[in-house]
Amino acid sequence: MKTDQIDIVELQDELEKLHSASFGWALSCCRRDHAEAEEVLQTVYLKILEGKARYRGESSLKTWLFAVIRKTAIGEYRKRLVRSLVFLGSSERHDTGVSPADAPTTLLEKSELQKQFRVALAKLPARQREALHLVFYEDLSLSEAANVMGISVGSARQHYERGKKHLREWLSHTETENGIVWRRKETPSAV
Amino acid sequence: MELSGEEKKLQALFSELKAADEQTTPHFGATWNRAQIAPRRVRIFNPAFVAAALLLVFGVVAFAVWSRHSRTATSPQPVIATAPQNPGSTAGAEAPPAPTSETPLPQPKTAVVLSRNKTTGQRNVMLSAANRKLQKDAKSIASWTSPTSALLESPSDEIFSSLPELNQSATQLKSFLPSRSN
Repeated sequence: MKTDQIDIVELQDELEKLHSASFGWALSCCRRDHAEAEEVLQTVYLKILEGKARYRGESSLKTWLFAVIRKTAIGEYRKRLVRSLVFLGSSERHDTGVSPADAPTTLLEKSELQKQFRVALAKLPARQREALHLVFYEDLSLSEAANVMGISVGSARQHYERGKKHLREWLSHTETENGIVWRRKETPSAV
Repeated sequence: MELSGEEKKLQALFSELKAADEQTTPHFGATWNRAQIAPRRVRIFNPAFVAAALLLVFGVVAFAVWSRHSRTATSPQPVIATAPQNPGSTAGAEAPPAPTSETPLPQPKTAVVLSRNKTTGQRNVMLSAANRKLQKDAKSIASWTSPTSALLESPSDEIFSSLPELNQSATQLKSFLPSRSN
């Protein structure tokens, strides 16, 4: 699918299909900040509409879109950081500390393990979190994940393995703490 | 991609996370429309532009400082060409012609050569003050006489220190020649 051939309506349809996954990825890039993720996604759409982000068909549309989201999220984060440094104390955002994702209704739906998992995920280094998210959450291959992250496949694999190791440690720790017994399969990793 | 037991657990946790996220995903149309109607931001505070401007300003300032320093380092010292010293101090046949009583006291001749134009009035004022000081020093040096110069004076000084003039007659000129005994 070439960009030149894609008109805006066609692109809009494709983006709509990927919207949910894009939002999930934006959430991951924005450290699970719902409002920031929405703003990033809106900025990405604006970039596409203005032609600042142009799909050239060098990779799949999903990979390209995710790379744009990641780049935009990093840019927005830097801007926020600068703003927070400039206007120390007078934050623009009225952060209530509870994102829409953490609203009471959704909080009820979350299991204790899920909450702990989110915390553990947030503690991971960004690259490891990104690699794990792209592989487990977005079902991308390691080469596609590497493409999105703008790194080599080898580096992506390293981040993925390290992240997985951290989460494994967290899992075993949680299991012993909570007395959860998982049925282990001794199948070696095939990734 | 075949997953191991722990990977399956992670997959399950990620799937649960995904399901929770999907519930809170904003509607595509809303986000898309907001992006369409969003005002086109004119980037006044462009970091690249600001960095380039700062670099340019720094370059200009550095050049100005450097040029100022190099000018002071290589600025030519006033060249002073002084006239012959007081004739009284150099008595001898090969001494330069002494000024007559009518000739005024030799003034120190100062020639200030400046290789570059002065840019500021302050520099001009400073230079003129330095020149005035130099002229004053030259005058005092020119008028200096040795305290023992009186001991060197003799009645024949006039002969040694004067030269025949062109409008003198031949007989008068002969008086300067040594007398022949033959």
